[in-house]
Amino acid sequence: MNTVTPAIKDLARRLIALEAARDAAAGGAARACDQLRRPLTRMAGAAGFRSLLSRALALAKAGDYSLNSVHIREDGVLDGLAGDDGAAVVAHLLGLLETFIGASLTRQLVRDAWPDAASDKTDDRDGKQS
Amino acid sequence: MSAADRVTIRKLPTGVPGLDEIMGGGLPEFSFNIIAGAPGGGKTTLAHQIGFAIATPERPALYFTVLGEPAIKMLRYQQQFQFFDPAKVNTAVRFINLSQVALEQDLEAVLAEIVKEVEAVGPSVVIVDSFRTVVRKAAGGTGEAELQGFIQRLALNLTSWEATTFLIGEYTEGEIRDNPVFTVADGLFWLSQHVERNSIVRKLQIMKLRGQESVPGLYTFRITEGGLQTFPRTYGLTSGTEKGKGQNRLSTGIAKFDELLHGGIPEGDSLLMGGPSGAGQSILATQFIAEGLKRGEPGIVAIFEELTDQYVRRAASFGFDFETPQKAGTLEIIYLRPLDLSVDEMVHEVVNSVKKLGAKRLVIDSLVGFEMALAPGFRTDFRESLYRMIGALTRLGVTIISTVEIEEDFTSLGLSNFAISFLSDDIVRLRYVSINGQLRRMLMVVKMRGGPHSIDMNEYRVTDKGIVIGEPLRGYRGLTSGIPGPWHPEVRDAEAADRKE
Repeated sequence: MNTVTPAIKDLARRLIALEAARDAAAGGAARACDQLRRPLTRMAGAAGFRSLLSRALALAKAGDYSLNSVHIREDGVLDGLAGDDGAAVVAHLLGLLETFIGASLTRQLVRDAWPDAASDKTDDRDGKQS
Repeated sequence: MSAADRVTIRKLPTGVPGLDEIMGGGLPEFSFNIIAGAPGGGKTTLAHQIGFAIATPERPALYFTVLGEPAIKMLRYQQQFQFFDPAKVNTAVRFINLSQVALEQDLEAVLAEIVKEVEAVGPSVVIVDSFRTVVRKAAGGTGEAELQGFIQRLALNLTSWEATTFLIGEYTEGEIRDNPVFTVADGLFWLSQHVERNSIVRKLQIMKLRGQESVPGLYTFRITEGGLQTFPRTYGLTSGTEKGKGQNRLSTGIAKFDELLHGGIPEGDSLLMGGPSGAGQSILATQFIAEGLKRGEPGIVAIFEELTDQYVRRAASFGFDFETPQKAGTLEIIYLRPLDLSVDEMVHEVVNSVKKLGAKRLVIDSLVGFEMALAPGFRTDFRESLYRMIGALTRLGVTIISTVEIEEDFTSLGLSNFAISFLSDDIVRLRYVSINGQLRRMLMVVKMRGGPHSIDMNEYRVTDKGIVIGEPLRGYRGLTSGIPGPWHPEVRDAEAADRKE
């Protein structure tokens, strides 16, 4: 079962803030997911990324009904995510990655996508929560 | 063309223990290879292991996944192996998924995508996993000529870009013939699993390797947390000669036994000690190891019928401390997992231990247990395998005592039944004899290749201090039968008179 630790939540928030600072209009969470889409699609294929994002979105929707209108386009881009919404989607996506390929590779992926934002806190599994 | 004029094909280390030796020194650089076999054979693991061994950030490995195992799951499983270095992912080892291209487009698009990536980074290694799915997908709308053209252009491109390539595919042996993939390939690695009763043995065969001489044959391999480990059949046999054989004598720790051997076991010899169950051959072998430890000679005991702790406890019951030398690194007790072992694996284990410890003494207790620990298919080649193993070990200069349990038949020495005596320099036989209503024990030195030995048949006892050898049994006839009778006095006196003359 996917778990999102406080460290992952914190990382997701920082990535979203970073992306929001770059383009506030596009929405930080959507941009963060898109930033992860590129390396993940290259590595796991478009279908691979889309399936992971679908699961992350489903998990996020379970805890936040305001995300019910959000959906994933065929190309793996999130649609309907506005403003600061969607931190849970990014966190669950990172959480899924950590579940499947481990903290070390997840950290590496994040570092590749955001060379200035990666943090060793992603493998801090203390205080994990569902 | 002289040797100096020929192009030198560099051999790349594979990172797979034993494989370089099988391949004749390593993987030919820029070769175009197939790793084939049935599902679960270890193909993907082998490819990863080689990729991680060779790749550097400057000359990375490109791992293309195509319609096979999902990449995320592959990474999840492969990172369990010790060779998987997360720091190399997406730097030295880069994963690229081509599933969508393969699904939605044709072979040309797949080729173009691979070439584009290769030209962008100049990789040292390219892996396509699973290539079979590319071919299968293409087979529907592609003719054989087109498929062959695709494979040739792929090989041409990857070789021109100085990449060593591996195509991974699930194939059966029947598919090799007339298959363009196999025709183009420089190297063909076949991985298989053989079910032998309840055991499964993994085997590797290099069916083809252009440009260099590999060692032909089927090789057992094991997949452990370290990845694949192959066990070359020539392990330990290709280097050096028998060291210092017979120059010194090694004491067995039993003075009277040393006397029977005319000074102990010649160094570097292989001594076979046969006897029935309970005769004490294991105890005698234990004393041989203990004596070596006392003299500062590291030793190794390979056991099959009991666990290490049990063996140490049993040694302790005879007053030998085997715990301290184990901790000090002068004694290693090897207990090998029974039932699916290959002789090559055993050789590998023991030879490595002998080298590591600088061992002077080795006990194999027992050959019967060793044979039983083998997967059934290897038991038929047991004698040939044993010959190789003893050869490899004696080359290292280690002195070996192998015990063998013999079923008493009261008519012969029983050694020919096991038919391995030709493997041994020296043979010692223990047996029960029925004398005066008592079951007593008798020891005789049957053969010593290096020189003379006592021809006496001595009684011995198993005590709480180990084996104690007594006096020669005199006045009996038919001792070797196990049911001797007294010499007739007239005959005995006549024979004594003959000897005097």
